[in-house]
Amino acid sequence: MPKIKTKRVGYNLDMTPMVDVAFLLLTFFMLTTQFRPPEPTPIDLPSSNATVPLPDTDILMVQIGKNNELFLGVDSQPARERIFESTIRKQLQAANFPAIEDSLRKFKLSDAFPVNKDNLEKMIIAARFANPKLRPVIKADINSSYEMVDFVMKTFKKTNMPTFNLITGLEGGTAD
Amino acid sequence: MAAVGSPEPKQSKKGKKVRKRLGFRLDMTPMVDVAFLLLTFFMLTTTFSKPKTMEINLPAEKNDQTQVEVAESNVLTVRVMEGDKTYWNIGFKPPEPIELYDTDDGTKFAISDKFRKMLRGNRERIRQEVGEDVMVLVLKLDKNARYRNLVDIIDELNIANPPIKRFSIADFTDADREEITQMLAGGAQPQPQPQPKEKKDGRRKRNR
Repeated sequence: MPKIKTKRVGYNLDMTPMVDVAFLLLTFFMLTTQFRPPEPTPIDLPSSNATVPLPDTDILMVQIGKNNELFLGVDSQPARERIFESTIRKQLQAANFPAIEDSLRKFKLSDAFPVNKDNLEKMIIAARFANPKLRPVIKADINSSYEMVDFVMKTFKKTNMPTFNLITGLEGGTAD
Repeated sequence: MAAVGSPEPKQSKKGKKVRKRLGFRLDMTPMVDVAFLLLTFFMLTTTFSKPKTMEINLPAEKNDQTQVEVAESNVLTVRVMEGDKTYWNIGFKPPEPIELYDTDDGTKFAISDKFRKMLRGNRERIRQEVGEDVMVLVLKLDKNARYRNLVDIIDELNIANPPIKRFSIADFTDADREEITQMLAGGAQPQPQPQPKEKKDGRRKRNR
């Protein structure tokens, strides 16, 4: 027998559990999120079936852009300072640049900076002095020419780092 | 909506009524709204996938003691030139062209079946001749080849079953270029292949 439907007046639903779960998830995502560092140049990664994840720390990353631009990045500030002292300071002094200390401070905060082909070896050696545990990594665009990649590989070899990693995306991923 | 209300006043053991704040209500709707907004933001922006890497081992320089002698009939040379043009040969035999990728426009990422078959066939043949899996692959990339070629070929070696561990990356020298030019000038190849000369390559690329 059908009940007579009365209009629900003042319907109250306890939403506390939902809000609890929402906050739990919010906390989780807030704590696990890692923001991507700003990229100096957009790079299309080649895809591969490699499964070795990139370690979090002690990375010396050489990035090669679409048009064969070179960028170097190290994740520790002492290494950055060492690089600055070894090459950039001299260049700035030679050019009578006034605010060297300011640019050092700024340089220490940069994740990746453009490098000249000739300076790469010197900078890598300086970075390795500051942190011998650095792992060399190449992150290159799929369309960068092999000449540049070969140059970087030879530099790694010359600086006594014959083992290095190439960063790749997942097979069938976004590398298009 | 979401709100905090005080529970019903409890009856204590002695039967005395404990006075609580009756009917206290706080509207939490805005807070929950903000919480959900943030939750959505973090859920959409977070990326769990870490970049994957492929390890490469180059022989250290100035270390001639580690040189290994390999019979030339066990050496498979793969040369890649500008525009994904690929040539392979065993030992000192003349190079043969092969398509590295499936599509002509180079947008597809799959290595062609022909290349796979060539790799597997040579490996199998050498294994049967020698009785051991001794094929060594030498990879030579021209300076105008793309980085993608390197990664794709090494990836192919890694996913072969079992993985081809014995490969090395060598310089693409003028002698290599000469060899390919000669092969193409011979014209004995059934497949028409573009000339590896710089000028013609440039034109071909533009036509795509």
